[in-house]
Amino acid sequence: MTRFLITRILSAVPVLLVVSLVTFLLIWLVPGDISAELGGTDATPEELEAIRRRLGLDRPLWERALAWYGDLFRGDLGYSYLLQRPVLDAVLERLPVTLSLAGLALVLATVMGLMLGILAAVRHNTLADQGAMVTALIGLSIPDFWFGIVLIILFGVWLGWLPTGGFVALTDDPLGWARSMTLPAMTLALTQMGVIARMTRSSMLDVLGQDYVRTARAKGMPRGTVVFRHALRNAMVPIVTVVGVLTGILLSGAVVIETVFSLPGVGRLIVGAIQRRDFPIIQGGLLVTACVFVFVNIIVDMLYGWFDPRVRDGR
Amino acid sequence: MAAEAAPAPLSLAAEIARARRRRRAAFLRRLFGHPSFLIGFVILAAFAATALLADRIAPYAPTKIDYRAILAPPSAAHWFGTDGFGRDILSRILHGTRVSLTIGLWVVAMVGVFGTLLGTLASYVRWLDGLIMRGLDGLMAFPGVLLAIALAAALGPSETNAIIALTVTFTPRTARIVRASVLVVQGMQYIEAAHAVGAGHGRIVFRYILANALSPLIVQLTFVFAVSIIAEAILSFLGVGPPPPAPSLGNIIADGRSYIQEAWWIAVFPGIVIAVAVLGLNLMGDGLRDVLDPRQRVERGGH
Amino acid sequence: MIPSLGLRTPLRLVAAVATALLACTLPGAVSGQQRGGTVVVAQAANPPTLDGMATAAEAARNITMHIYETLYAYSETIAPIPQLAEGVAISDDGLSYVFTLRQGVRFHNGKEMTARDVRASIERYRRVGATKSLLAPVESVEVTGDHEVTLRLSARTPMFLEAFASPRAPVVIIPEEDAAAEVGRISMVGTGPYRLVEYVPDSHVRLARFEDYAEDTRYAGSDGFGGRKAPHFDEVVFRIMPDPGAQVAALEAGEVHVLERIGVPSGRRLAGSDAIVVHENMPWAFTVLIFNTAAGPGANRDFREAVQAALNMEEIMAIVGEGLFDLNHRWQYRGSTYDPGEVGRDRYNRSDLARTAELLARAGYAGEEVILVTDTASQQNIRTAVVAEQQLRAAGINVVIRQFDQPTVLELRRRPEGWHLTTGQMGAAPYFGPVDTLATMTGAQPLFLAPDPQIDALFRELANGPTVEARQETFRRAQAYLYESFPIIKIGDWGKMEATRSNVRGYVPFRIPRMYNVWFEQ
Repeated sequence: MTRFLITRILSAVPVLLVVSLVTFLLIWLVPGDISAELGGTDATPEELEAIRRRLGLDRPLWERALAWYGDLFRGDLGYSYLLQRPVLDAVLERLPVTLSLAGLALVLATVMGLMLGILAAVRHNTLADQGAMVTALIGLSIPDFWFGIVLIILFGVWLGWLPTGGFVALTDDPLGWARSMTLPAMTLALTQMGVIARMTRSSMLDVLGQDYVRTARAKGMPRGTVVFRHALRNAMVPIVTVVGVLTGILLSGAVVIETVFSLPGVGRLIVGAIQRRDFPIIQGGLLVTACVFVFVNIIVDMLYGWFDPRVRDGR
Repeated sequence: MAAEAAPAPLSLAAEIARARRRRRAAFLRRLFGHPSFLIGFVILAAFAATALLADRIAPYAPTKIDYRAILAPPSAAHWFGTDGFGRDILSRILHGTRVSLTIGLWVVAMVGVFGTLLGTLASYVRWLDGLIMRGLDGLMAFPGVLLAIALAAALGPSETNAIIALTVTFTPRTARIVRASVLVVQGMQYIEAAHAVGAGHGRIVFRYILANALSPLIVQLTFVFAVSIIAEAILSFLGVGPPPPAPSLGNIIADGRSYIQEAWWIAVFPGIVIAVAVLGLNLMGDGLRDVLDPRQRVERGGH
Repeated sequence: MIPSLGLRTPLRLVAAVATALLACTLPGAVSGQQRGGTVVVAQAANPPTLDGMATAAEAARNITMHIYETLYAYSETIAPIPQLAEGVAISDDGLSYVFTLRQGVRFHNGKEMTARDVRASIERYRRVGATKSLLAPVESVEVTGDHEVTLRLSARTPMFLEAFASPRAPVVIIPEEDAAAEVGRISMVGTGPYRLVEYVPDSHVRLARFEDYAEDTRYAGSDGFGGRKAPHFDEVVFRIMPDPGAQVAALEAGEVHVLERIGVPSGRRLAGSDAIVVHENMPWAFTVLIFNTAAGPGANRDFREAVQAALNMEEIMAIVGEGLFDLNHRWQYRGSTYDPGEVGRDRYNRSDLARTAELLARAGYAGEEVILVTDTASQQNIRTAVVAEQQLRAAGINVVIRQFDQPTVLELRRRPEGWHLTTGQMGAAPYFGPVDTLATMTGAQPLFLAPDPQIDALFRELANGPTVEARQETFRRAQAYLYESFPIIKIGDWGKMEATRSNVRGYVPFRIPRMYNVWFEQ
């Protein structure tokens, strides 16, 4: 297990390298820098040049990149030009928002997706099956940000049950956190729910048709037990896999949801940094989120082994 | 294998051709007999027809401004109402389907090409495998929306940016699928036999390996098509898709988001159109998957 | 720089709102102004910094004008009135300004404001102030008493006090200890009615009442940016909400009490509601089109006039202003002190396609692509570009829109190639009068690429005009010149709508959403 972990963690290094290289490419692409914003409307070209020199923006990008990697080795992600604070602090402060959103969305999507999927598989070829699958398909097909706007109007304005936006920290007020996160998480969960429901159904159907499950049924094991002990456990393998993949998609999705629901998350932090050319935040923010992505995928790999005895024993 | 090289007797060739036709007919019967595929196909056909005929059937030009009819509710003159410029929403949606389809098709083509290329290279050229796969892992960890925002900052928002960003986003998974199916095929005996009779690498890759990886690829690309229509809407909503006054479905929703309560029709109708189009593509994908590749009933994950 | 940046704030927000609501239901409160509560103001953009003098951004000014104050401030009628100053004595030669300071004014850190702080603040402004060219005539700043500061000017500058009081990037007074700090690195301490508690970008800025605030008892109430400011609220929270739909939803749900900007259709819909009061803030800004006069077709005067002749201002303004607009050709707001009248009126809002064709032929225009650059940050800019593009294309000018984010547009506009026409909204500058208006057109930056010697000369004449009448005359000639040379085209004026919950009392719309002398009722 330890060796497996070490291998996995080492294999994360090239991923992070690619992410940081693509980020530099992106910085190289965007014209303009932050000097105009810092210099004010009246700044002369000389003053702008002085600001660039002070921030090192006059050096060629490869030099800046080397310096950045050097700092990274010392555990320093740099300093935000605009927020006037260390990048790591700024990103870590936002991470709870995005993680709350992504985490809750995953929970919602998994619970609802599993329920729909199991229902469909167990009642295979019935109206319930079709109903569940149509629901899943609709979930897959609706643009989620659009769904979010509709939810705001419905639950925020017309019914007035839930806040229309904003974030409450879990540590401050668990109830407020849940209320503030419900609509955004539902929005983000919509598509993923559809994916998980469809996957659960098909892998459950595969497993339910297999010999050992039939044997278990034949031995008189209650239906519910068979479904949950044997079938579902095996069906977890692709589900866990999809959770890992979804983590990557979630940040992209979170950018939009954070905008619609006015949430101060990492997505909006990075978008703001791109729009204002606050390069250290772009670099640091993307690296930290890539780390989260890699970390979740390592966990996913471990769960994968745990749920699938063949993988576990094969190691 | 050797028989193909020698000129076959006429009757045999005709026999083979007939058998091929029969197989194709049977395949099409199975495909169109599949209810999901049929419904999806009808929806997509309608969508494509709208896109092609938008010029003819749209009651107004999509960019025609009428400041006397700003935010007009649905009526006989404007079935789906008008937006903040007094532009006819129905006409904009009709033309918007064209933008969505164009972007979707481009993304499918690019993802198809790059996914196949990278996936085949990775599986066929051993020493490249690690490099390509790690690179793709890295891209998967990179949020595509942010790439699109950066591209828009550099080049201005455009269809091209949206296509590039979506291609980068969807290529890694597609390449993985291609790689996985090529690896499966590669181990099979008939490939070894082809090697044995001295078939060239190019021939083996194209004639045998890719042909067998095609089914999962087609299924995957159908879903890529579906997702890229939604993704176009997201990019336009964030202001980094096709620039105004282009009538993309996402742009129309973005135009309507400030008036969602006063003029619900601006955002609601294109949202429904997107949902229906994507539904159609998903249904088609399901049908294709069932018929082409019954074993692959699970969308593949990243591993 | 910012005290206690943390995530543990929204609870307090919720709690404070709850207490506010509770407090409001308590009977027996004094009639008239009531103390207490947390008011939530929504705005779309993050302030780039809360270092008041270092930014001219509206998103910052809305907030910083509650934290900081200036020696002189603009009144409701855009005249300089004393705020932190007791008054000013100007020498006969106009070269010396002796400001006496009010006594007993405290900073949020408890320290009393003295002449040393004022000198340090002005010195810092000359270094990092966002519109520091306004202080260009200042030769020296001296402390001439505990509560007296003397400015010496290098040349007579009749409009100096106006420039000094300008709130675009205000010359705010901060403690001497902060004066050496770089932009954004100060302690954000001022003398204003509210003090900064925290700033969480993309989320909110929280201010709390400054208990030791020295109200300026010379006035009865608010007067423009100055006057007597009574901080009735316990806390003022500026919530950053980028989505306009979400802002309106939050107002209707009662989570937000003040929208400093609401779409006109939403405003019209809510005008009938008992829970919400809608305010019209008209006029708010000019819509303009700016030419690249350095290169491309825009370098030709006839081409520029062709564009002017082609445009239908009514159509553009109806869409930009969503119905709240004024077809005003003037380069000042209608009826203001420097209203230049009918000059140039005959060339405005013509949509005269025959004349356009004639001018285009004279300019030798042969259908070259004309790039109209606009930025993604402003709905008004996008709308202007979209409608203008349609009209100009119909008039035979091959316009294409290129849309970028703001830093790219700024970068692009520094270069002579790559753009020919751009959109703009001028809000504050015309409001603060002819000098500010013309100042934006002088030199090579920020509006024009190629300095226009005529405008530069008119600007100098205006700034040195000894009397109001002389300056009015100069500005009339400036307007005549703009309608002769067309380096920039005036499209019209638009107004903005604001909305408050109806329990917010005493609110009067102005250039910033003033949260002093405003209170919750019931």
